[in-house]
Amino acid sequence: MKKLFFVALAVALMFGAAYAAEPVKVGLMGPMTGSWASEGQEMKQVLDLLAEDLNAKGGLLGQQVVVVSEDDGGDPRTAALAAQRLGTQGIVGVIGTYGSSVTEATQNIYDEAKIIQIANGSTAIRLTEKGLKYFFRTCPRDDEQAKVGAQTIEKMKFKRVAIVHDNTTYAKGLADEARGILDANKDVEIVFFEAIVPGERDYTAILTKMKAFNPDVVFFTGYYPEAGLILRQKKEMNWDVPFIGGDATNNPDLVKIAGKDAAAGFYFLSAPLPKDLPSEEAKQFLEAFTKKYGNPPSSIYAVLAGDGFRVLTHAIAETKSTDPDKVANYLHNDIKDFPGLTGKISFNDKGDRVGEVYRVYKVNEQGQFILMP
Amino acid sequence: MELFFQQLTNGLAVGAIYALIALGYTMVYGVLKLINFAHGDLFTIGAYLGLTLLTSMALTEHIGPFLGVSVLAIMVMGLVAVIGALLDRLAYRPLRESPRLSAVVSALGASIFFQNTVMLIYGARFQVYPQNILPKTAINIFGLYVPLIRILILLASIVMMGALYFFIQKTKVGTAIRAAAIDQGAARLMGIDVNRVILMVFLLGPAMGGLAGLMVGLYYGQINFTMGWVYGLKAFTAAILGGIGNIPGAMVGGILLGVIEAMGAAYISIAWKDAIAFCVLILILIFRPTGLLGERVAEKV
Repeated sequence: MKKLFFVALAVALMFGAAYAAEPVKVGLMGPMTGSWASEGQEMKQVLDLLAEDLNAKGGLLGQQVVVVSEDDGGDPRTAALAAQRLGTQGIVGVIGTYGSSVTEATQNIYDEAKIIQIANGSTAIRLTEKGLKYFFRTCPRDDEQAKVGAQTIEKMKFKRVAIVHDNTTYAKGLADEARGILDANKDVEIVFFEAIVPGERDYTAILTKMKAFNPDVVFFTGYYPEAGLILRQKKEMNWDVPFIGGDATNNPDLVKIAGKDAAAGFYFLSAPLPKDLPSEEAKQFLEAFTKKYGNPPSSIYAVLAGDGFRVLTHAIAETKSTDPDKVANYLHNDIKDFPGLTGKISFNDKGDRVGEVYRVYKVNEQGQFILMP
Repeated sequence: MELFFQQLTNGLAVGAIYALIALGYTMVYGVLKLINFAHGDLFTIGAYLGLTLLTSMALTEHIGPFLGVSVLAIMVMGLVAVIGALLDRLAYRPLRESPRLSAVVSALGASIFFQNTVMLIYGARFQVYPQNILPKTAINIFGLYVPLIRILILLASIVMMGALYFFIQKTKVGTAIRAAAIDQGAARLMGIDVNRVILMVFLLGPAMGGLAGLMVGLYYGQINFTMGWVYGLKAFTAAILGGIGNIPGAMVGGILLGVIEAMGAAYISIAWKDAIAFCVLILILIFRPTGLLGERVAEKV
């Protein structure tokens, strides 16, 4: 049955190519609803803008580009259904998604359907260790992030470290990786390693418990909604331990949730924020985005989704083909230092983005994210 | 020991909120034998209405924080009660004579409807209550550090639950509600308008849920349209723990669940705190299948 489906799909694709009357379809799978909805909706805004731009310049292979979006709800089960629906729509590739556990649920579906997937926010290590030929990502990986996190902790001379994650693929992976690196350092002791339950409001129980272990610093690898609440409740407890967050805490809503006084002094690791992107392409893009939607993009992951779209369409234009093998081959081997919005883009054999380093940011008293030197 | 009492206060504040929401589940179940799955979303609506009223009317600036919040609470409770009554009229009453499963499906549908309506109106992003509405002072009780607002939450919940208990036990309408809970047919024969009793239940329960939503917004600050799911599930658990259909049971169950969670997190494992809470629930149900206070079947509401 499955085989029949793919034959049908292949035939459909061939006809698509032969008549070339069909528009080029690019899928977008993102969390349009659920607790990460602000990420997904911005991803869609970015892709809509880029597709409009591309179509104004004559489209792709002489055709218009259409973005077909599906909601993954930030939930692996919903995502699997979204992937199956996208798989029947004749898309060349799909951009997304944000959460690693969500991406993981869809990887094999796209791989079997020979659809190129370019994830924008899924940094969990194992996603690219499966040897999937059509999987790429424009974001960096957690082993690199853990390295930068551990280095930051060592550089700031913290001795007693608490690590808190939330049991998602991403957060647990990052926490484990960081623990591994810090364990090797004799000067640093990990005094506390636990998981919270995401989606709740009250984290005073874990804060009270953690405080008894008296850590010098807390490394929180979960997402921004919980980070904001934890910072706020920590402030309420009059506990002034410094917090370092992983790149999933990088969202301006963090400051809104925590309040400026509770967020001040919070460090987090991240790829450069939209406002700190240096390239000319990025400046133009941010300007166009602000003009269209009234505010600049707040999340780097939305911009990384935009980069996914740009490399994919670039590869289709260069290979003059929508054949997934050709496009994947081009992305793996031929694309070198493509001028992306978030910096130069090249992919290695695994589909990971090459280069690109994490930065350390600090939240200042006004609630702004300041790039640390 | 200090840690124990600190965790106890943490658990009590969480539990008080669970208890307020659990009242809505338990009252509806008592009268209709229906699990109102949309109740968690009425709680969400309470939180959002509170935010809208708070920011648009600036009540607390005009008449002081405590009076302002009290007026706000009454307004939110009133509005959510009306939505609750509409929910009954539109989603449940047409199915009164249908099999019970139809009403449950209707409840699930109403839940999805409310959740997405809130998302479409307010957007998917997290909304944040303005800070410093209530003074952020903390009270030092024997070396324990307790924010004033937590004490207020606990007090307000207990007062509301007490008032509700009094209303159900001592007033004529309350007696009618209890009668309808025992036997709707007999109550009707005694001249009780059962549909009005049900309407009353759908005014009271959602009002409590809406108040809980406002409290969560005021205290934790961050609200989003999916928040009703976790709270609804926990409150439903609390209602079963205490004996569903039983009003004091919902109060005891809610507070107990909050404390068990905090203690489980403190002394066993934070990641396992929900599992611990549910294990306790299973154990209690094995030994007391009707829940902690569920034996007073004759008086359930």
